[in-house]
Amino acid sequence: MAVSTTSMAVERQQERRQLFRPGLVFDALAHAYIWFWLAIFALPFLATLFYSLQQVGGGGWSLDAYQYVLGSFRDNLILSFETTVATIVINLLIAIPAAYAIVRFPIPGKSFLLSVLNMSLYTPAAVMGVSLVIAYAFLFHIPQTLVGLVAAYVVGTFPLMLVPIIVALRDLPGVFEEAARTLGASRMQSFFRIELPLLGPGISAGILLTFVIIFNEFLVTLFIAGPATTTAALRVYNLTRTAGFQPSTAALASTMQIVSFLVVLIFFQVFGSRYLKGTYLI
Amino acid sequence: MTRVQLVNVTRRFGQTVAVDRFSADIADGEFITLLGPSGCGKTTTLRMVAGLVEPSAGTIVFDDQVMNGVPTNRRNIGLAFQSHALFPHLSVARNVAFGLEVKGRPKSDIRQRVDEMLAMVELSDYAERSPAQLSGGQQQRVALARMLATDPRVLLFDEPLSALDRNLRDTLKYSILDLQRRTKKTAIYVTHDQSEAFAISDRIFVMNEGHIEQAGSQLDIYLRPQSEFVANFVGDNNPVHGRVTGFVRQDDGSRLVEVTSGAVRLLAIDTGGLKQGEAAVAFVRPETIEVLERVEQSNNPYVLEGTVEQVVFEGPTVRLMVDVDGTPLLVEVGGLTRLSLIGADRKRIRIWPREVSAVRDRTTVAA
Repeated sequence: MAVSTTSMAVERQQERRQLFRPGLVFDALAHAYIWFWLAIFALPFLATLFYSLQQVGGGGWSLDAYQYVLGSFRDNLILSFETTVATIVINLLIAIPAAYAIVRFPIPGKSFLLSVLNMSLYTPAAVMGVSLVIAYAFLFHIPQTLVGLVAAYVVGTFPLMLVPIIVALRDLPGVFEEAARTLGASRMQSFFRIELPLLGPGISAGILLTFVIIFNEFLVTLFIAGPATTTAALRVYNLTRTAGFQPSTAALASTMQIVSFLVVLIFFQVFGSRYLKGTYLI
Repeated sequence: MTRVQLVNVTRRFGQTVAVDRFSADIADGEFITLLGPSGCGKTTTLRMVAGLVEPSAGTIVFDDQVMNGVPTNRRNIGLAFQSHALFPHLSVARNVAFGLEVKGRPKSDIRQRVDEMLAMVELSDYAERSPAQLSGGQQQRVALARMLATDPRVLLFDEPLSALDRNLRDTLKYSILDLQRRTKKTAIYVTHDQSEAFAISDRIFVMNEGHIEQAGSQLDIYLRPQSEFVANFVGDNNPVHGRVTGFVRQDDGSRLVEVTSGAVRLLAIDTGGLKQGEAAVAFVRPETIEVLERVEQSNNPYVLEGTVEQVVFEGPTVRLMVDVDGTPLLVEVGGLTRLSLIGADRKRIRIWPREVSAVRDRTTVAA
């Protein structure tokens, strides 16, 4: 007992000494520096959020503006979700077999192929938009349709699905497939029962990236979308241009921001950042 | 219940020949080991039997079925990997059940078989654990249960113990032998560890640079190495380069050959039809050199006299470096004799090399 009391006293003394160590000032400054920049980054979003919470006509806080989110903006949000989900599904159907082929089989000119596949990532969105208008209007005759919109999204975001799955597949030791094969599993069985579940984190990363980009996509949509295919992001733009920036528009914008933020937050909690390497989020 | 034959099996990777005309006839229920240094082609040979690598030439036959071109999943083999390769997202029981599930066996059969297999490797209580929650030895036992669950024709082992620590290796190698004996399955075991190979095999194939150096029983490999490579790879050896100076017919009719190098005269087992006057290498095992305690003169011409250069006490044995007129010989002495040799530096002693073997000296012929 006596010993532990003494040691506690010593600890307390050390603590006190540590409170006044000279490094503390530097630490405080370093933290302040980080928080300063975080505030600068978050400020535009916070401003929109505050604006959306203003009572119309001034005088206090209100959630009134948010009634429009599920009111007249409802169709736009649903359309955004629909196009996002459709794009994710199509991306998955293309990217999983593509990644498997690229990683597991010897393909001549593999790095050239990858550069071509990633082209949409380094093409300016406006250039993409113009190119898609030309292709869809004159080649496929599908401008201003839902099909055209989803097709445009797939072209634009396919590499975002492909890259994390390639990373995950490269990390996955080939020995699991071999073990499955020696146990009697066909190539298909070993892929669906063993490799696909083990690729889960990589696939989730691809879904996250596609979701974040498509749900908020605006510039390519501006070129491709028609009156019947106005996504939430495009609606924010249209309203701001015609009616000025209203609290209701701010509410829609904030809702989109919050949804995206929560999705990213949850992903990092569950999977961490490992499979986002090589993609442009990290 | 499968006889495995490999006929002139060859595998090339680009310009390099990984396996060069490997032939073996493995009897039903036989346990053979491919022993050799890394890169000798032993793993490639095993992977060809498994169907994970296709041979560039040659034939692989199970009983009377040619296996070339048959995909791995239709060969009905079991393969134990060095890294155990348990599926990390499946429980222990689901891992063991995997082979039965993909074969579409009824659920009740699968459950019964899984219970049986886990009981066999004494891991019944771990059925619902995930592989990551098991120790290295337990993981390898689950891998063994998984591989035996589908009742494969041939058991293949690719250095299954090399990632484990020494004590575990010793117990597990006997578990593997026991499982093979009980199931009476043909087994091919790949290892670079000669003590593993000696402990569990019916027959050992020593491999080097893609080809078989020597195939035979433990005694053949150890006492009658047919090449310098085998003599040096398996255990310690004193190579003595000399010439054939005579032959001695033994009572049982076998012929021993006398190899002489300076003052060193050795009587050796002839493993390759040596001729009088030919350059030969004799291999003297350090532990088969007898140190004669009595100084009395004998008329045995194969007793050598030398000076002890160095004495190292290693506990169960004492290692002496003895110089016999310029030829250094490593001598390993066990038993009580070893204690009398401590502090024998610079002393003259008399030694009698027993169980010497000799092969044609290819290095001298080439020069």
